[in-house]
Amino acid sequence: MDDGEPDSSAADELKNQNKRAAVQFKAQHALVVAFFMLLLVFHALGIYLFCSGFLLSRLVLQDRSQCDAPPAEVQHGYTTGSMDSGCWHPKSFDKAVVILVDALRYDFTVPFQPRPGDEQPHHFHNALPILYETSVEQPNNAFLRPFIADPPTTTLQRLKALTTGTLPTFIDAGSNFAGTAIDEDNLIEQLYKAGRRVVHIGDDTWHSLFPGYFEPNLTKPFDSFNVWDLHTVDNGVNEHLFPLLEPDMQGRWDVIIGHYLGVDHAGHRYGPDHPAMADKLKQMDGIFRQMIDRLDDDTLLVVMGDHGMDVKGDHGGESDDEVEAAVWMYSKRPMFGSRDAESVSPPLTAKERAVGQIDLVPTLAFLLGLPVPFNNLGQPIAEAFLGTNTDFHNLATVSRLTSAQIHRYQDQYARARKLDESTTSTTSLLWRQASIIYEAARKATHSLSTAEAGGVTDAFNAYQAENLRICRSLWARFDLVSMAMGISALIGTFAIIAIYAHGIGADRATITPLLLGWGAAGTAVGAIVGAAVGLIPSLSLIQLSAFGAATGGISATLIGLWPARKILKLPLPRTFWGSLCFLVTLLLCIGFASNSFTIWEDEQLLFILTTFGVLMLASSLGQDLREDRVLGAANSVSFLVATRLSSLSRLCREEQMPNCRSSYYASATSSTSAGWQLSIPILVFAVLPSVIASFFHRTRNYQGIAVIWIGIALRVGLGLIAVFWVLDAADDNGWIPSISESSLKTSRVLLAQSVLALAFAGGYAIFIVASPLLEVKKEEAQPEERAIAPEPLQPGEPIFTSLDDAPQKPKPKLIIFGYANTHGTRYLLLPCAWIMALQLLQKPMGQGTLALCMVSILNVLEIVDAIDQRHSALGPTLLALMGSYYFFKTGHQAALATIQWESAFIPLKTIAYPWSPLFVTLNTFGAQILCVIAVPAISIWKVPPKHPGLLGRIAGAMATHVLFYAAIAVATVVEAAWLRRHLMLYRVFMPRMLLSIIVLLLVEFVGALVALVGVRFSIVSVNEVFGWPGT
Amino acid sequence: MAPDTESKTLQSAKPIELLHSQPSLFFANLQPILLLGTVLFSFKSLVADPVRTLLGLAPTIAIVQAIYCVVCLPSTGDVAAPTTKPGQKKKAGKPGQDIWAKVIPTFLSFTLTIVLSAPLLYIIVILFGAPLTTHHLHTLLFALHLALLTTPHLYYVHGLDAPTWLRLASLQQPIDESYGMSLGACVGAWVGAIPIPLDWDREWQKWPVTVVVGMYAGAVVGKLAGGYLFKGWKIKLA
Repeated sequence: MDDGEPDSSAADELKNQNKRAAVQFKAQHALVVAFFMLLLVFHALGIYLFCSGFLLSRLVLQDRSQCDAPPAEVQHGYTTGSMDSGCWHPKSFDKAVVILVDALRYDFTVPFQPRPGDEQPHHFHNALPILYETSVEQPNNAFLRPFIADPPTTTLQRLKALTTGTLPTFIDAGSNFAGTAIDEDNLIEQLYKAGRRVVHIGDDTWHSLFPGYFEPNLTKPFDSFNVWDLHTVDNGVNEHLFPLLEPDMQGRWDVIIGHYLGVDHAGHRYGPDHPAMADKLKQMDGIFRQMIDRLDDDTLLVVMGDHGMDVKGDHGGESDDEVEAAVWMYSKRPMFGSRDAESVSPPLTAKERAVGQIDLVPTLAFLLGLPVPFNNLGQPIAEAFLGTNTDFHNLATVSRLTSAQIHRYQDQYARARKLDESTTSTTSLLWRQASIIYEAARKATHSLSTAEAGGVTDAFNAYQAENLRICRSLWARFDLVSMAMGISALIGTFAIIAIYAHGIGADRATITPLLLGWGAAGTAVGAIVGAAVGLIPSLSLIQLSAFGAATGGISATLIGLWPARKILKLPLPRTFWGSLCFLVTLLLCIGFASNSFTIWEDEQLLFILTTFGVLMLASSLGQDLREDRVLGAANSVSFLVATRLSSLSRLCREEQMPNCRSSYYASATSSTSAGWQLSIPILVFAVLPSVIASFFHRTRNYQGIAVIWIGIALRVGLGLIAVFWVLDAADDNGWIPSISESSLKTSRVLLAQSVLALAFAGGYAIFIVASPLLEVKKEEAQPEERAIAPEPLQPGEPIFTSLDDAPQKPKPKLIIFGYANTHGTRYLLLPCAWIMALQLLQKPMGQGTLALCMVSILNVLEIVDAIDQRHSALGPTLLALMGSYYFFKTGHQAALATIQWESAFIPLKTIAYPWSPLFVTLNTFGAQILCVIAVPAISIWKVPPKHPGLLGRIAGAMATHVLFYAAIAVATVVEAAWLRRHLMLYRVFMPRMLLSIIVLLLVEFVGALVALVGVRFSIVSVNEVFGWPGT
Repeated sequence: MAPDTESKTLQSAKPIELLHSQPSLFFANLQPILLLGTVLFSFKSLVADPVRTLLGLAPTIAIVQAIYCVVCLPSTGDVAAPTTKPGQKKKAGKPGQDIWAKVIPTFLSFTLTIVLSAPLLYIIVILFGAPLTTHHLHTLLFALHLALLTTPHLYYVHGLDAPTWLRLASLQQPIDESYGMSLGACVGAWVGAIPIPLDWDREWQKWPVTVVVGMYAGAVVGKLAGGYLFKGWKIKLA
């Protein structure tokens, strides 16, 4: 290239070359993105196959219990089949009011019991005394018992169990947000078929479960997921329920189901130990007192919780606090009794004399004269049938009928599933024993004596209990074939990514089209072949097509590597940093086979990140150039401090107790932020933009649009976020009583929405149209910039002309400020746009740690440059480790209970699809998202604008990043399969496995469609100014 | 990218040889036995009362290390450095004449170990996740022991020469017995942290028992490996 004035034909030629290079880049880029999407498809297929075999499923029988067909012959001349007097057994009540208080934990209802270390009552104690009082004072009219839920303790699962009497299976757990109709025998359907009029008021989950069964005029459903709203549903239930209890309305209904949500929402929002919870429970107390007053003699009143809540007020898992709910029954007529004098008053803890939640089903069925639903596995609650004179005979009758129904169900189930005798033999033995005892007692005397009846009851209960135990283990049936298919697909995909990232000795971007072509074709052929085989009856079509697609695609991609075999090498670590990344990933993978290491993952990640930090510091100190040494060391120290500082933000999982103290919320029993934590968003607002700007400053790239975005827009956005959380705290604590709660809420939501609009609409607009962050100056003086400019500046090159109106005259010296890091800073605008949206959805503490995560990312970029490891696995792996680490530091754990559902209500007032799940996702995986978006920056940080082969480098970095998550996913999936009978499967291994597969899919998705797509705009914009490599 | 003058010295360094004398060989082999023996002997009391035990052991370890320096290692002045650097401000003692030429560097080495290395290592141990608000004495004493095992001999041998210390810190110094012991102690302590989270409910899992044991075992292994197996090796960080 001559330094004189180029003539116009040479300029045209250059332009054409550039145009061609641009088109070629865009085409290659699209194929790279498509290739990553293909990997996502492979992973999705593998995960689908694995989960369909691993997540438990139960065969739903369609049989219905009939009123005139009791499961055993009924003794002493009771005519069965009458809806009026009771189907299988005389009914006790005509009508019932069933009140479900969501998350009514047992210890809310009983007097506080001081324990060592817990001497003072909490807010949730002694606030709801009515249930206990009545049970103690009038034991024949009321009884209170602990009411144990089968996990998962989510409302939808609980409602299914409370109406069908059967066990939940994990496959249902995911459908909590979109409940589907129950298609097995249940109490509501039995009531409906018996012509009873059922009114439902409250949580609208009931309507998705039982569509069309409720009295249309009197029923009033309420939206259930607005967990920040404590009162709307409860006030609505009161408003519609109490009029029905008036005498003139008594004829309009037979059963009322009221579902209060305030206690649950108070728990979610504030945690149980909060004055709002005490207020809520006192309000409930008053409501029940009023109900008792208005009840008539023929109506049964039932109050129960569907689950409890953990110390933070959340639920879903299987900890004691979550499963221990309460049930209370009340009747104006003395109807109830107890086994013996000791069990007259309610137990003081949930550990004694508990009943199962499924036991409600046969109990209510007999009390209301209905047949027991076909799939029921529960047993009648003794108190409800013993009567005032301890009538064991009555109890024995209902126990026997219930057991007989269970026996009938078991026969049917075994037939449907073609089970062998061995799995059911202990139950059939117990069933025969119970029947013999019963027959013997009946033959000897026509009516059973109390002792005999007690024995009969016990025998049938033993059968029921054993049967329940068998069912629990039976329904933990894993489909090993499907699991193996899934695992092999995951391992195959892992191999492809490993080779793609570390086994290709040439530019990846040029090989990608080949792999993509083979892979896509293989997937299609495989799917067709799989579907063809799947058409054979008794084979699963979907399963085989998925497996065919995965196998075909993966093997075709590997075949696609064949032409390139000359440049392939084994994807093994060859450098110090590569080995360290490999070792750390391997250690983590092995650790997930141990529940301790899985539980303490957050602490391990701190340890690992610090190891990296210290070694990077060491490596920086060994650099030849003083500048690299200082820059690397300073950033390593900053990285170390930021990492340790964010480790102070902890949200402990239950299993970490008592060796862990949560600091994420105001207290261990709350889910609101402490007052001092409000200073965090303000601090982030004040500091973060300046810190980010300083990284632009260093290479003179803080120019033009960067000043507008980072200096102004980001600051405004973070400021609005700080205001949002101040308003939120004001609302929580009632700081500004003059402003109503609803107007506070409206302004908050508006603030949040404008931040989101600014981040996505504004941020993306700026990112797409921005020109590189450069400043061109005409100057005679020597350039002062410290920036490393490996290529000499070429003054007067015609390509610069597209920079606004830089003069074409070659005479004055042109100095380009910001040349050294054009690519890096241009791309960095993208993470800077996303950080704003991600910050908004974090709680105050999480905002602090996410800001530290952002600073650490910038540190890593500088360190990787200083120690010249741009092309090693170090940067991408480190970012993946940081994504995992900051996941924990933003108040999450690998446990269902730590999902911050309430983050859906930051920018919205109510649930709206698909936004609400999206916001929860952004909140939960904010750290991983931020880190994966930063990955391309590693490869282009401080590289010259015309560096060739950048796309291939970026694809390699992204593949390395994904490789880490893929390794964790393969490890946890294999270990969950291996440990499928482990005691801790549902508490520890399965949640971790679910977390890693969700993160893997999400990271791949965001990596391809946000990060890699973003690369296109940033590289095109830089190369349009500087010209494409090779021109 | 012309390497500056510092980097020239960064590249030229040789492993340190032990002094060739009978007592030197004897004590160099006795030292690992003494170190391991001391820790194993006091393991029970270490588990029972880490603070008191570590405090009580510190002088013993310091003396063992001091004898090692005096008897086995060439002090800064002794070693015929490849290019005599002007940076030996502190202890340019007259080589090997009287006992003071060995005692003063030793004394200075241990002073530096206590006032410089131990606080620095304390901070690093905290960074690695040691308890921040509790167990201060545990962590401090562990840092002190780590400092005693890693730095006095390095100060004694290398003085305070900045390029050498940059080489040491960036793992570019060729491995020899004393440097191997330092590195081994660090790696051992790192490995020693691994069993802490396991739910075995053992008394010895408490902080900082496992890392102390790991550190001593690592120091001994590192010393032997550095002295024989890997002598003269250089870790390639890049």
